Amino acid sequence: MSFRQARWDEPSLWDLAPPRTPVAAAEVPGVPERFRRKEAIRWPELSEPEVVRHYTRLSQMNFGIDTAPYPLGSCTMKYNPKVSEMLARRPGAADMHPYQPETTAQGSLEFLWKLERLLGKVTGLPEVSLQPSAGAHGEYAAMLMVRAYFRDRGESESRTEVLLPDTAHGTNPASAAMAGYTTREIPSKDGCVDVAALRAAVSARTACFMLTNPNTAGLFESDILEIAEIVHAAGGMLYYDGANLNAILGVTNPGRMGFDVAHLNLHKTFATPHGGGGPGAGVLAAGETLAPYLPVPRIVKAGRKFRLDYDRPRSIGKIRSAYGSAGLDLRAYAFALSHGEEGLKHVARRSVLNSNYVGAKLGRYLPRPFRPLVKHEFVLSGAPLKDRGLRTIDLAKRLLDEGVHAPTVYFPTLVEESLMVELPETESRRELDQFIAAFERAISDTPENLHRAPQHLAVARVDEVRAAREPLLSWKDLRTAGAKAETP
Amino acid sequence: MSRWISDEPGEEAALLESLGISSVDELFSDVPKKARMGRIGIGPGMDEPAVVSEIDRVLGRNRPLSRFASFLGGRIRSRYVPAAVDAMLSRSEFYTAYTPYQAEASQGMLRALFEFQSLWVEMTGLDVANASLYDGATAAGEALLFCRRIHDGTRFLVPASLPWEEKSVLRNYASGPNLTVEEIPFDDRTGRLDLEFVRRAVAQKDVFGLLADVPNGFGHLDEGLFDLRPILGDVPFVVSADPLSLAVLEPPATYGADVVVGEGQGFGISPAYGGPLLGLFACRKEHVRAAPGRIVGATQDAVGQRAYALTLVTREQHIRRSRATSNICTNESLMALAFVVYASLVGPRGLAELQRSLAEKARTLAGTLSGIDGLRAPRFDAPYLGEFTVEVTRGTASEFLDRLRRRRILGGHPLTDPRPGASGAPERILVATTEFVGDREIQKYGAAARSAMAAAGRSA
Repeated sequence: MSFRQARWDEPSLWDLAPPRTPVAAAEVPGVPERFRRKEAIRWPELSEPEVVRHYTRLSQMNFGIDTAPYPLGSCTMKYNPKVSEMLARRPGAADMHPYQPETTAQGSLEFLWKLERLLGKVTGLPEVSLQPSAGAHGEYAAMLMVRAYFRDRGESESRTEVLLPDTAHGTNPASAAMAGYTTREIPSKDGCVDVAALRAAVSARTACFMLTNPNTAGLFESDILEIAEIVHAAGGMLYYDGANLNAILGVTNPGRMGFDVAHLNLHKTFATPHGGGGPGAGVLAAGETLAPYLPVPRIVKAGRKFRLDYDRPRSIGKIRSAYGSAGLDLRAYAFALSHGEEGLKHVARRSVLNSNYVGAKLGRYLPRPFRPLVKHEFVLSGAPLKDRGLRTIDLAKRLLDEGVHAPTVYFPTLVEESLMVELPETESRRELDQFIAAFERAISDTPENLHRAPQHLAVARVDEVRAAREPLLSWKDLRTAGAKAETP
Repeated sequence: MSRWISDEPGEEAALLESLGISSVDELFSDVPKKARMGRIGIGPGMDEPAVVSEIDRVLGRNRPLSRFASFLGGRIRSRYVPAAVDAMLSRSEFYTAYTPYQAEASQGMLRALFEFQSLWVEMTGLDVANASLYDGATAAGEALLFCRRIHDGTRFLVPASLPWEEKSVLRNYASGPNLTVEEIPFDDRTGRLDLEFVRRAVAQKDVFGLLADVPNGFGHLDEGLFDLRPILGDVPFVVSADPLSLAVLEPPATYGADVVVGEGQGFGISPAYGGPLLGLFACRKEHVRAAPGRIVGATQDAVGQRAYALTLVTREQHIRRSRATSNICTNESLMALAFVVYASLVGPRGLAELQRSLAEKARTLAGTLSGIDGLRAPRFDAPYLGEFTVEVTRGTASEFLDRLRRRRILGGHPLTDPRPGASGAPERILVATTEFVGDREIQKYGAAARSAMAAAGRSA
């Protein structure tokens, strides 16, 4: 497919209408002189059409799932249903303050409560909180819950270690460390947890083992029941990173697999839009052991009435303001209602079918380091590209020129020059075949063209090294740099 | 079956045939039988009209703010969202995009985030802003951890008047590295921070940071903040600021703030019963490598044109793993876009004018409530902008608010920690003005408050 991205020479806001400075700020009665802003905020005064054109032009220089597939592994970039967007804008959803009396917010409490019950069934971990703002936030809250649990058992001094596989998302070790744990990586064997290594690593120091299943290599950890047994026998908790839940909806669930607590990403599995980097919406789901530690408030139902319950003495407290991102939860609820029992199962089956289909096709061009049977995603190694003087990044950039997004690159790190590809259930066979054809054109192109890619986008290859070496992080920096450049 | 999954006749069969298998079940042979689940146990799927009708039924049980004269505020605002903000957020190139890892394909979002960062820098007077955090409370939590990275110590000082939710979040963020959050007492008449307490704490050499909010948790301005910098010495100073207030108040950097955080929801984002929200974070350039979150930088492309990319990524979890400055990955990019679009539509003069108008309404409201027996309004003798604290001295705050609600007034929110066993705080409520209330609503509040207090008197 031929593709040329818009390439506007669009100035930044401040160059559209350079603000006159300094401008005295408005006076507000009662504000003490010391507190009064002496110069107005330095920002342009623009008309609505100018602002709208500016951001419309910028939007035309951005990929989205509505323009083409987004095969980012572990990101589950699926279509975001329009009906969810429409419903989230209803006044009954948008025009609600979290501090409204519960009697005036029964509708919000009802759909949040129902979504919680539904997610409890999906995960097999019945107690659910929708408070986390994203997946990593949920991981972090879960680690705080694990810590609180061991504190109650008088083991917080001794259980200081969180174990995780070397294929774990970077957020896992970062979240564990923020919660005060030291982390230790368990090596993988053929892309899955090396069970013998795990057995040797667990001890009375183990607080938790964090695992994604299917993992970031796209493989189902078939030894999961044994893994759960090993961790529990050592007295540790088992944590489920739900980033890849899409592939196993209705097939198995964290509860069945023996996990004690899980986070889900509603912006992956339940199709809330990713917003160019957020907002996300995290979910915490816990079994019996850790449920008392979930954040407050919890939603409880008494008769037909719902209320917020703060009487949870063992709760870790709050991890953010308000109850959670109800605006996103509503979108996820609409998604789940639409699919229902069979639909959610079909989501998993089709996403797994898609990735196995594309994996088999792309395996003709690049080696697949692990077994061919995958779940939601698969990994390729771009190592052979080196023979042609190329790297994975060149292939990724050349794919952009085809109008499709690149896969996740250089992760998981245990595969040399890795590419991680995920094409969720919302990609039709036609789209998959077009992606495969685009991949073939990209990898078959001349080394020169790959090095020069991308050529069809708003900008050519971006110099990220320069961005980090000479940081220009705001308009203020640009002004300073400009002034320096003008000084002889 | 859902319209979101292609179901062309023969499609699935063709995919299966290509794989040389006869059923999708074969693709799940790696899931052990003992781990399989039966039914999920949820209802059958629904078509689009049925989903819309069901969700509208549920939402029909809500009574949105527009049905009331609402004086609810705090960190989360009920504020008019210009239609153009939502139109820009509805550009699906923005809202259906992923994090801009591939810079060349994402210049639109990267540039919008760079503009957002630039705006928060201009508003705060600091040097560097990140591309967003989850909300104001977690931004304060991240600021606490940031302070510990740039300064030794074990104690972090916060106003006792800080909203309880934020204190709880801060205590969680502090708990990992075993740090303590200590509350600074305030003057009972003015609500101002006890600077002597701060001086003594700092002298003990184990304070690694202090956070103060503007306006404070009671809605008031504390001039003592201007005297904090010399008291703190080299101890990092965090200001948590309401963005709209910065249209008329000095940028916190001018009185010595090293970090400015805030809740950005009021700029173009509906309250939506609590989220999504927007965490703001800015710091000084010398500390940028200790900062949490994604940062967009300006650079060049291969042919020398201006281009933008995520930068200083070696701070982040996907590179640094357990040694990252934060675990944050997905942030609030789209909400950051709302913030900068909103501010650009309203403009600096418009923002200041809005804050001025809310402040005037608040003065009218305070004047209306001040003479009522059973209320102290405002509770504190200190300057304020668009909100202030009222103390209920006859009956309880919740009874008072209930009585107002029956007259279709949401009279504010209680400042007390609702958890059982929380320290018995006085009956205080935070009352905020919005664009949606005018003289009529304020008079209505006054009349309802008078009759509520009369009723409280009778039942006492």
